[in-house]
Amino acid sequence: MYAGEPPLSLPTIVLVEDDPQLRTLTARALQENGYTVRPASSAPEMWLALEQGPVDLVLLDVMLPGTSGIDLCRAIRQKSSVPIIFISAKGSETDRVVGLELGADDYLPKPFGTRELVARVRAVLRRGAGERDTAERPKGEIQFDGWTVNLPRRELLSPTGAVVDLTGAEFDLLVTLCDHSGRVISRERLIELSRTRLGDSSDRSIDVLVSRLRRKLSDAGHQAPIVTVRGIGYTLNVPVTRS
Amino acid sequence: MRAFLKRPSGLIGQVFAILLLTILIEFAVSTMLYERASQFAVRDDEARRLAEHLVIARKLLAEQPPARREQLALEFTTSRYEVRWMPQLPSGLREQPDLDRLYEQVVLWEPTLASNGLRLRLTSQGSKALIVGAVPMPDGSWMYFRTREHVHAADLGLSRILLALAPALALILISGILLRRMLLPMRRLAVAADRFGTGSVLEVEEAGPKELRRVISAFNRMQDRIQRLIADRTQALAAVGHDMRTPLARLRLRADAIADPDVHAAVETDITEMEAMISSLLAFLGGEGDRETPARVDLAVLCATIADDNADHGRDVEYDGPDHFEHVLRPLMLKRALNNLVDNAIHYAGQCCVRLEPVDGAVAIRVEDKGPGIPEEDLQRVMQPFVRLDAARSRDTVGFGLGLSIVARAAEAEGGSFRLANREGGGLCAEILLPRDGPKA
Repeated sequence: MYAGEPPLSLPTIVLVEDDPQLRTLTARALQENGYTVRPASSAPEMWLALEQGPVDLVLLDVMLPGTSGIDLCRAIRQKSSVPIIFISAKGSETDRVVGLELGADDYLPKPFGTRELVARVRAVLRRGAGERDTAERPKGEIQFDGWTVNLPRRELLSPTGAVVDLTGAEFDLLVTLCDHSGRVISRERLIELSRTRLGDSSDRSIDVLVSRLRRKLSDAGHQAPIVTVRGIGYTLNVPVTRS
Repeated sequence: MRAFLKRPSGLIGQVFAILLLTILIEFAVSTMLYERASQFAVRDDEARRLAEHLVIARKLLAEQPPARREQLALEFTTSRYEVRWMPQLPSGLREQPDLDRLYEQVVLWEPTLASNGLRLRLTSQGSKALIVGAVPMPDGSWMYFRTREHVHAADLGLSRILLALAPALALILISGILLRRMLLPMRRLAVAADRFGTGSVLEVEEAGPKELRRVISAFNRMQDRIQRLIADRTQALAAVGHDMRTPLARLRLRADAIADPDVHAAVETDITEMEAMISSLLAFLGGEGDRETPARVDLAVLCATIADDNADHGRDVEYDGPDHFEHVLRPLMLKRALNNLVDNAIHYAGQCCVRLEPVDGAVAIRVEDKGPGIPEEDLQRVMQPFVRLDAARSRDTVGFGLGLSIVARAAEAEGGSFRLANREGGGLCAEILLPRDGPKA
């Protein structure tokens, strides 16, 4: 499949933001990066924009006057499985979690820069590419060897149920390994993926990331299930289930 | 009738009731004590001997002229009784308790003594109880006597002291208990007043006398008002903070259009600083509206990840401690706190080490650096909000000086503590101590 490759047609993004200048600036930043943008300043305008044609992504400010972005997100979800990124001036973790659990795909706190904006949009579009049009959206959980990866919350739970905190790069590496479980991924491919993902400014080598992940995934004498394939790359050698 | 029987509700009413009760008890007990003295009796033969001795001595004394009486009286003094002649009644005899029972016993044997006007009293000498008395002579002078050995009815001296003391002690005890009970709500009020401002609001139960109830209800209302006032202000400040992020986002997007990389970097730094200030202010005010719930967290990995994240951004931060250590806490709050400590260490020392060490009944997280440390006299002061040690003009740190206050709050929220100390050989050690109440896996 083409997972990881940008779709052939230009992705269309509906941008819902009540601040006119920020709307213009965000739209321009997205257009400069090759996206078609349909701006909207309120909920009714958003519904109009959604009806104008197929949409690949909705960027939604949760603090719109008059409407709660959370309610709006729920309303969109009832009609469509289009990916949604929340924009919020609140750095609140509750907001983030509520949004993500309602089916938003990511959460972008203000103030964001062009680089971060584009990286998030790209990541969500890539993640959504394979799953679009499936009747039921997956909950976004991956299980392996007793561990649980919660994709929307970007959270890893240990077999005992404790939250295991990972850096952004480590989490992305783990998800990539899960996505390709049972297969060997070359170091070059991992390096490439870790560069494009989320604009993480990490310049650590993949080997350092892998060794850290192994330590954080070790479990009282139980080795982490990440295997080095000499001269080629790494593989996750346990079965992975998704729910 | 019911209204009359009801407990008085006012402070004055209750104090009055307590006084009334204590006085009643005092009255009852003293009455009993005097009653007991008047019931004091000796064995019949002793009363008889005393009566005979008195009658004979009086008769013989009366036959002599007054000049010889004093000398003669001494001759009547035996091992048992001391007899003396006096022209007047000794004044002490008026103050001793009456010995009604003994009087009856003596008069029964020698009724003449009654008509002569016998006086009997009880007195004490040290712990001994003695009977003293006087009989008037026909010419108006007095024959005074007293027993030489203490009467064996009881060591009345000691018991009298005890008896006199008992009501006083009982009174102190009873009124103490009653007053304490009455003022118990006052103590609860004091506890609540002490607790106020440290997080949880304690509604004080309205109890006790009317005046106290009024104070408590006024206190509760005041507590509410202050709470609401703080909440309103916090909300307003938080709203300002949130609103500032929109223009800040515009600025950041606009900054991307700046061609000069130096200017772009400078503007980006300014925006980052402003964002950091807003975030720390919101974190301090709790304005993010987060009531984070505690969760089971691998604390060791959390500390390691903070070090890793910083290391990934080119900073010299290490982690030292076990690979895994599970603990129940609020992870975001603690992460923010640890990041503040690491940021401080990087700023002042350029490097640091995050150490996790399980100690007795607790777990210590230490951020240690090899920097200049903090002058001992400033160690406490820096933990207060808005305090910064850099002179105002030369300030080059980001934020408002809220970093350490946020750390202290995060530690308190977990029931732990936070302290700063200079390390031996230089550098600062910032220690968060968390009690280990959550079961360790």
